[in-house]
Amino acid sequence: MDREERIWFGVLILVFLVFNAVTLSPLVPWQKWLLWSHPTPDKRVSIEIENYEIHLPPEGIEVWVGEFVEFVATSGDVTYGFGVFRPDSTMVFQMQVMPGHENSILWKFDTPGTYDVRSTEYSGPRHPEMFIENAIQVIP
Amino acid sequence: MERIGWQEKWTLRYAVAGLVFLAMSGFEGTLMRTQLTAPEALRGMEAALNMIRPVAHEPSSAELFYGMLTVHPVVGIYGFVYMCIMGAFYFLVPFLLQKEIRHKRLVPVNFALQAIGVLTCWMSGFFGLFNAMYTLYWPLPVSYDRVPLVGSVAFAVGAAVIMVNILLFSYNMFSTVLSRSNPRSYSFWQFLRAAFGIPHLMRLFGKEDTTAVNLDYNGLPVFIVAVGRGSIDTVINALVLLTAGGLILIYGLSALFKTPLDPSAVDALVYKNWFWWGLDMVADGNALMYTAGVWYLLIPLLVNRKLYGESVVRTVIMADLLVSLGVWSHHLLGDRAQPLVMRLLSGQFITWGEFFTMGLTIFAALMTIWQARPVKFTPALKFVLGSILGFIMGGAAGLIQANVGLNLVFHNTQWVVALHAHTFLLTGVGMLLFAVIYALIPMLTKLEIRSQWLANVHFWFWIVGSVVMAYAMGMAGSRGMLRRTIYPLPNPYQPYLAVAMVSALLMTVGFVAFLVNIVGTLGWANVLSLVVPERWLTPRSGLAET
Repeated sequence: MDREERIWFGVLILVFLVFNAVTLSPLVPWQKWLLWSHPTPDKRVSIEIENYEIHLPPEGIEVWVGEFVEFVATSGDVTYGFGVFRPDSTMVFQMQVMPGHENSILWKFDTPGTYDVRSTEYSGPRHPEMFIENAIQVIP
Repeated sequence: MERIGWQEKWTLRYAVAGLVFLAMSGFEGTLMRTQLTAPEALRGMEAALNMIRPVAHEPSSAELFYGMLTVHPVVGIYGFVYMCIMGAFYFLVPFLLQKEIRHKRLVPVNFALQAIGVLTCWMSGFFGLFNAMYTLYWPLPVSYDRVPLVGSVAFAVGAAVIMVNILLFSYNMFSTVLSRSNPRSYSFWQFLRAAFGIPHLMRLFGKEDTTAVNLDYNGLPVFIVAVGRGSIDTVINALVLLTAGGLILIYGLSALFKTPLDPSAVDALVYKNWFWWGLDMVADGNALMYTAGVWYLLIPLLVNRKLYGESVVRTVIMADLLVSLGVWSHHLLGDRAQPLVMRLLSGQFITWGEFFTMGLTIFAALMTIWQARPVKFTPALKFVLGSILGFIMGGAAGLIQANVGLNLVFHNTQWVVALHAHTFLLTGVGMLLFAVIYALIPMLTKLEIRSQWLANVHFWFWIVGSVVMAYAMGMAGSRGMLRRTIYPLPNPYQPYLAVAMVSALLMTVGFVAFLVNIVGTLGWANVLSLVVPERWLTPRSGLAET
């Protein structure tokens, strides 16, 4: 390696270290609990998905701002996705829902309001129908 | 009549077929973009095509959309990219080794099988409505309440033909390279040792592996080393996808003969790991190594200067092979069932290995050009630079989404498919293949590219169109727009879709300028002579074989 290559290699290492350190750190809000603190959930919400239908708890989903909620999703047939979206359609989080496995994610909402749920994985031609408006109520 | 060699003529045939597949894939892309922008716009065309579709029911617009979407990448990658790569390598490898292709009879066989395999897959989606996407997540491809059984079987057969053909092509490449570098006999393990660069590593520590087949040093051009190493990934990819296709075929045939098998017998997570390990050998393996090899070959030729940092480059090619074997979990970052250690190690950290290998590759490429100043910006060199931009953009987007934290909001969005995948394919690989065509045509035919103006139109319309389309859809993705999802109107993504539609049209203008220029350069008679038997042409027309 000549001098220019060594300098460039150093730049690459620096970018690698900085980017990974920042994105693995609590500077990315959800990394605080998904990667580092692993708190005990305050609430557990079970979701079952089968035949293009997302079955939420019959009583609905109501959570408090700041409480830790564990969403546990299962599939009865093919792979789906479980995605939570703000009213302006931007995504809050998502996970894959794989058949034969329990798929769970811990989340803490920091903004009150209503949130939509949509399947985020293609599961067949009726996939776009898998949308539930105002599925989650987050209370201040 | 221009006289060119047998091999040169076949290379041109591969290029023409590749461009036809690019046009098909682009046309499908435009249709789908139209459907996303205005869902009712294609009703007339759908009704006309439904009359010749061999399915029992009247398919919905969504079924047609997803059928097209499933085969769109197959046509683009295994039609356009692989056809062009096969054609280019069948000329360049023997040209650089000063030796003929080892098994010449495989050249037309590869051409025919690739075309047959791609067209079979395409028909399974476009007419047979197979809609399980190229990702084929288990058990969707065998869920016959969602995907047509006959379409599923046809797709698996087409995919198997493609994969077997790729294995034949790779065998011919290895056979040709090794017959030049080491005419002695060798065992399979000696070959594998060389393929994974063990002799190169031993050499770094001052030891010579004198019994190994030579794949990486002692005089083989860097391009050949990259082709050899990339072809390891190509073989693994073909073998793994062959097993997945075989599994789908077994389930399909069982269902066809009224003895359906239980899909839950196959674990979806194990299957997904296996499938992505193999599939990623293309996306993060041979695509990068072949690209690096072509840069290492073309740039010194175009600027008339030795490649900068050749010893580092050889090591990088070897490292890239090892990296490509371990990165697949970045496709499973959204799967909470995948162990966290796999997501972090394979999904995030090893993926960053590509940042180093491609970072050093691009540095070597740009330093070679910089040290050769002043350089003449020929069409080929401009397209090479455009392809480097594509790999920088697509790579940066890839590293952002291949992150355990950030993937939570990027997974399966338009960001992934537009800013990462399409930038890689259209701006990166696409412009590289155009550069190869611009560089090879004068080498193959002794004819100069006819119009610099048309080449410039091609360059600017293609690069602006592909970059703007990628950014528009990438922004839509960052605003929550999912891939593979049709949104009813009105939706918040319409402005992005409109910009992407205009960008697609810009690319079309660029592509048409390219076709006009290439046909103008070769002449209609020469183009026809690629597909029409020589005896049908008048003595003064066409590219005759020497």
